Amino acid sequence: MVDKPFNSLEFSHIKKSFGRGRQNKRILKDTHIHLKQGECTLLSGKNGSGKSTLMRTLAGLIKADSIAISFNEQLLDNKKAYSFIRQHVMYLYQEPYMFDGSVRRNLGYALVRKNTDKIKQALKWADLEHREDTEAKCLSGGEKQRLALAQAWLKQPSVLLLDEPTANMDKHAKIRTGKLFAEFKQRGTTLLIASHDLDHLLQVMDRRLILENGKLLEVEKE
Amino acid sequence: MDSLSNTIIEALTLLFNGNAELWTIIGISFQISSTAILIASVPAVLIGFTLAYSNFFGRRLLISVFNTLLAVPAVVVGLTLYILLSRQGPLGEWHLLFTQTAMVLGQITLSFPILVAMSHSAFQSAEMRAWDTARTLSNNSISAFVIMLREVRFGLLGALLAGYGRIIAEVGASMMLGGNILHYTRNIPTAIALETSKGEFAQGIALGIILVLMAFLLTMILHYIQGRGMLAHGR
Repeated sequence: MVDKPFNSLEFSHIKKSFGRGRQNKRILKDTHIHLKQGECTLLSGKNGSGKSTLMRTLAGLIKADSIAISFNEQLLDNKKAYSFIRQHVMYLYQEPYMFDGSVRRNLGYALVRKNTDKIKQALKWADLEHREDTEAKCLSGGEKQRLALAQAWLKQPSVLLLDEPTANMDKHAKIRTGKLFAEFKQRGTTLLIASHDLDHLLQVMDRRLILENGKLLEVEKE
Repeated sequence: MDSLSNTIIEALTLLFNGNAELWTIIGISFQISSTAILIASVPAVLIGFTLAYSNFFGRRLLISVFNTLLAVPAVVVGLTLYILLSRQGPLGEWHLLFTQTAMVLGQITLSFPILVAMSHSAFQSAEMRAWDTARTLSNNSISAFVIMLREVRFGLLGALLAGYGRIIAEVGASMMLGGNILHYTRNIPTAIALETSKGEFAQGIALGIILVLMAFLLTMILHYIQGRGMLAHGR
């Protein structure tokens, strides 16, 4: 189970722009997103619509021009919001960055204290047992993605943000990764997945949002 | 020719017979330079890190300033600190001129821009994705920073060695700030300058051999470290 169960998590009044003066480009225009525990939301939108910016903003990796975070319908002040994000929201890149060292070492970074048993479990969960001592930078794209998911599995964030996780994967790898997403959901982890790959995510997806002109729109279920 | 070969033999004899004066000079050199590099490295690495991953007003200007400071001659650093530390200077009350502390200050000033510039490029070479991943994996900024230190350790070690190489062999600042006092502030480069001016080449050559050996050793270590770094990054 996730370490911080919740009923609702709402990010509102999210504004973000880049550049100054005439170069200024508003990417997110006072938008909001409401997440429920264990729910999987698919985020789609055209290339350059700001999906990655939105996700990185939600993860606290980019400073928003404005943002308000409510947890279980209670508004968090700025300091608490930042600390909340750091502890409970995790963002994974399309091409996850692997640190120098073995797969085992990279998994260890997701733990506050070294725990060999947990690392072994994570390796088994991500089907990377045979790669334990391999240099993480030398893994294939799909294996890197599974390793990043195994790090998330160890860290147990309440919210997991995934940026195009199945891009550049073959069909087999996509199915395998989809199963890992389903296991996160079972654990109670909230997933927000930016992807164009609707077919492979239909089974785990609960709802779909589209980012258009800096605002999020909910797509009605067919 | 005979005179040159005799001087070299004399220099080697001084080295291998454990001449006390010579080895004291060598000891002072390493002690002062090691202290300077240890003190300078922590703030320099933090500044290099901040310049690489933070966006603040004046960041580009600060990077240009540190890059410019790389080219400042040791004697100018020595002169500036001499004016500050001399009896009439603003820091004259500290009575630091012609002490080992003054030499350490001079060497910190000299090595600082190298350490900042090289650690900045080491962190920058790791790209923003690395810092974002470290932050997302860690519960606090300190543990994320520790992950990054390990990630760029080869670049940082290179910075330390380059800084050390710069200060162990500099003569200008050490001469002006230390005063070349035997058994106290006389280090390898100031001793070489003094012995050469007296026409006593043997001790100068002996100390020169130590400096050349050390430069060779530092270069070898640097090459080894860079090789390890490239292997680790799959190149």
